[in-house]
Amino acid sequence: MTVLAAIRPDDWNPPLFLHLVGAMTLVGALLLVAVSLAGAARGGSVATLRLGFRGLLFAALPAWIVMRISAEWLASKENVNEDSPAWVDIGYMTSDTSLLLLIAATVCAGLAARRAGRDQAQGGGLSVAVVVLTAITLIAYVVVIWAMTTKPT
Amino acid sequence: MYDWLLFLHVLAAFMVAATAVMYSAVALGASPGGPTIRVADAVWNVGGLGTLILGIWLALYVDGYEIWDGWILGAIVVWVIAMGTGERARVQLAEGVGNFTALHWVRTVAVVGLLVLMVWKPGA
Repeated sequence: MTVLAAIRPDDWNPPLFLHLVGAMTLVGALLLVAVSLAGAARGGSVATLRLGFRGLLFAALPAWIVMRISAEWLASKENVNEDSPAWVDIGYMTSDTSLLLLIAATVCAGLAARRAGRDQAQGGGLSVAVVVLTAITLIAYVVVIWAMTTKPT
Repeated sequence: MYDWLLFLHVLAAFMVAATAVMYSAVALGASPGGPTIRVADAVWNVGGLGTLILGIWLALYVDGYEIWDGWILGAIVVWVIAMGTGERARVQLAEGVGNFTALHWVRTVAVVGLLVLMVWKPGA
């Protein structure tokens, strides 16, 4: 069992590498946004709100695209698209749902940054919404990491 | 047992990469604030320790791997480089001296190098 776990065809490596780079960048960007905006909601600066918005727009969303395209590439190599196992379904369901949350968080962060720049306000409810959305997404991704590594059937 | 070891090892690797991403924002000119840097440092410490301990545990546990395999020894060397440059980058950012940006990018390249070794496992 543990010997089998060590074996993987070489041509799976490029899509797996890209999938991991995308997923790790996505998680890092979400953690950056969640933590910095949690500080902004308690009286942070306009710059912090802008960082949250840019982190989502220029890091999290592109990373999601890399992660998702490479996941499809990897799935085609592994032939798991037909009669897919539970761990693949968990991955697809979470990644597709999280895109909606990411788009909502990006819009909220953009509005919060714009409002803060205009009124010198702190982003208020919108930045709290971004923190909640990114925190939910991060928790979901931890579940996906568990599913991808343990591969429950 | 193997599943949990692998899950926690990969989770630790995500934590290490997350810090590299968070510090990249600083290297690119952003000012995320003290609490964000403190979280990034804490995540780096836990992730760094987790990748090493769980990685060695996996190497001992999995029948197909040995701790003296070239790719595992190489990964340990790259891990030391990543942790060393990461610590120096943290100190230089905190004290505002030296070349934090260069050290951070060396650390980031080392983290990507670790990922390459973990995926391709050359010689395994």
